[in-house]
Order: sequence, then C-alpha cells, then structure tokens
Amino acid sequence: MAATSVGRVLTLCRQFQNAFRISTSLAVQQSALTLTKSQSYLDRLTYPLLSSNWHCHVGQYRPLHTTISRRGLEEFFDIPENWGEPTVKSGAPWTAKQLRTKSNEDLHKLWYVLLKEKNMLLTIEQESKRQRIQMPSPERLKKIERSMKRLDTVVKEREDALRLLQTGQERARPGAWRKDIFGRVYWYRFREHALPWYMNKRYKRKRFYTPLFVTPHISRALIHITSYQNTEQGERKTNRTPGEVSPNEACDCIPCFFA
Amino acid sequence: MARRLIYPLYQIGNPQLRIFRPPFSLTLVRPGKEQPQDTVQFRIPMEMTKCDVRNYLEKIYNVPVGAVRTRIQYCTNKKRNHLNQKVKRPDYKVAYVQLVEEKANLRFYLPCHAVTTGSILWVQQQTFEFPDIFTEKDVKSAEGSVEEMQEKFMEDEKQRQKPDLRRGGVTEWFGL
Repeated sequence: MAATSVGRVLTLCRQFQNAFRISTSLAVQQSALTLTKSQSYLDRLTYPLLSSNWHCHVGQYRPLHTTISRRGLEEFFDIPENWGEPTVKSGAPWTAKQLRTKSNEDLHKLWYVLLKEKNMLLTIEQESKRQRIQMPSPERLKKIERSMKRLDTVVKEREDALRLLQTGQERARPGAWRKDIFGRVYWYRFREHALPWYMNKRYKRKRFYTPLFVTPHISRALIHITSYQNTEQGERKTNRTPGEVSPNEACDCIPCFFA
Repeated sequence: MARRLIYPLYQIGNPQLRIFRPPFSLTLVRPGKEQPQDTVQFRIPMEMTKCDVRNYLEKIYNVPVGAVRTRIQYCTNKKRNHLNQKVKRPDYKVAYVQLVEEKANLRFYLPCHAVTTGSILWVQQQTFEFPDIFTEKDVKSAEGSVEEMQEKFMEDEKQRQKPDLRRGGVTEWFGL
C-alpha cells in the first residue's frame, strides 16, 4: 500500500512538472485514493486538471486549461470542499527511512510540495485565530514540520557522505578551537569577511586569548571541571567524535587570516 | 537548510545567490485595514526582503508580482506572565504585494526592488479578495440514524425551554 501511494505521489510530482500532459490513469487514481501522504495536496492537484474546457490530443489525454496566477494564490487555501469542515483527513508524516529511498530530484520536489502545504496550513491557522474559530486538524502542521526536518536530515547525510568521500572534510563550515577571554575553550566557526583579520576592528575587539590577570582564577574552576569530567557521569556526557582535535590542544595563538 | 545558516558574502561581480529548498514560509493574512483590490497581504519571516518575496511568489506559486512593500511590525514587550517576568510577543514582517497582468512586460526592465507607482498604467488589473473559509455548512444527517434522532430531541428540548408566546414577552416571575 505504501509503495503504490508513494508511486502515486511520485507520478503526480512528475505530472506537476509536465503540467500539460495528463493521461486517463488519473481517473483510476482518484477513485482509488485512500489515506496517502499529502492527500489534500493530491486532491488540489487533480482539481484544476479536471475543470477543463480545452480539447487536447485525441482519446489519450484530458483537456486542460491554463490561466495564470489565480491558481497560484488559491494554493494558499485548502480545496473548497474542505472549507467549513471541523476535521480534515491527512496521512502520516514522511519517515527518514522512506525518504532515504528517494532520489535527490524527488526530494527536491517534495520539499516544495511540503512548503506549499505548510504555507496553506499557516494561512488557515492565522485566519482561524482572526475569526476566533478552532483550526481544523492542527496536527497537520506538526506532521509537515517533522517531514521537512527529516528531509533536511537526509539531504545533510548525503551531502556529508559526498564531502567526506571527495575531500575528506568532516565539517561543511570551517572552524577552530579557540579560547575566549574567560579561558574557556570553544569551537569557533569561521565567517566570511571582506577584510583580513588584522584590519577588522570589530573582530580584534573579540580577543581570542586570555589576559594575564584572568589566568590565576581559571585554575580553580578547571580543577572542578576536570574532576567532574573524569568521573563516570562526566565521561558519559562528553561524547566526542573520534578523530577530532581535543580542546585541550587548542592554543590561544593569534588567529589566522581566514577567520 | 537549517535556520542558522550564514549566506556567502556578496561583493560586486559575485554570481547571484541561489537558495535550493528555501526554509521560508509565507502566511496570507486578511488585511486589518482596507487595502486596494489588487493588494495581497502576507506575513513573512524577518530575513526575507522584497526581492525574495517577489522571486518566491513568481517561481514557486507562478504569480506575476508588480510591487512589493514591506514593513516590520513591532509587538509588545510590556506584558508580564504569572512570575512577573516580561514576555515578548515576537515581531513579524508584513509584505503588501500588488498583482499585475502577465502581459505587462515593463517590470522586467525595472530593478528587483522597484516600486511601481500609479503613473505606470497596467492593463486589466488583477484583483484578489480574501475568501471566507469558515462558512458553516448545513449538514443533514442520514434518515433513521442516531444523529438525526439526537438532533430532533435537542430541537424539542429547545422548543420546551422557550417562553410562552401568549404571555406577550412578560416573564414567568410575575404570578399567573
């Protein structure tokens, strides 16, 4: 069931791209529509394709009319059937496992499908707040957000894998371990600047070194921290990835050019 | 695309920044004050600009956009919760988008953030009216079902509660 529903979503995505060719299999799809993911979106897609008055090729294809823009703003609202309903049926959110089976192209299209759905739900939510009426099925928003988050995770995984294979870099954004003025070591992520660091006044005000009058006070704090870390609780909490430069090896040297 | 991304620095001559999978979502709102017929009001995230809104609507929704004007609505920081702490209501950005007819190609020669004033006449202006989404439908339940019997019972109860019409609006408190 999941496979066919997924297939339906995919085919509809392809149809959404080639919006001018619709085959008669649409009728079959509409009659067999059950609780699929983004069902409301499927319904809204079939709606404009059904309202047609332009004769296309003989037999095979349904006629289609293409007006501009009015359809665009209508996508901010649900299909007119669902206006005034207390609840609207919707399918389960996408899981990461299902998303990993999809190609990059399909994930890209799905992102926009989810984005449009999210915009529609936000519009309905705001309007319901204005009219002081309960929004029909607010759990749809959570489902969409979770699906988008998982999609993002899957895409990041793929990007990470590609980058590791091609360059060996673990992180997308370069950075370094640095000490701040309080003597604490943290991971500083680099930013792009138009000037070199020695000409950047705002950057120099940040001071990635500990002044001499602060260093005597650090030792007592450090003893406390390290003693906690050496206990079992501390080791459980600090789970560092292997192969990473430990913060103890960070030097409070003068920051490099690309900072 | 996570929220805390920093986009590449732009200097003159750099290629156009392209965002795949935009994390921004727009909310169409009913205007509080009376707006012209062709104006659509949106709530947009703070990070978006007029150019972003235009490209968003044109590319994703296929809506030809004429002019976009934005403003930031400041929401109060004065309210306090039960612990007497100040609670900030989040600020939001509002965009007023004016629609145009597709045939008017003049806007292609204008920069992205241009404001088209009334001096340029557009042919056949498009209008948009915010629809009424929460109209109550008259649902008639199936005959012989439990719901129909329940509804009938409720209606009878209501009839019994209404005051006697023969008394001419006088309440039951006055005797007889």
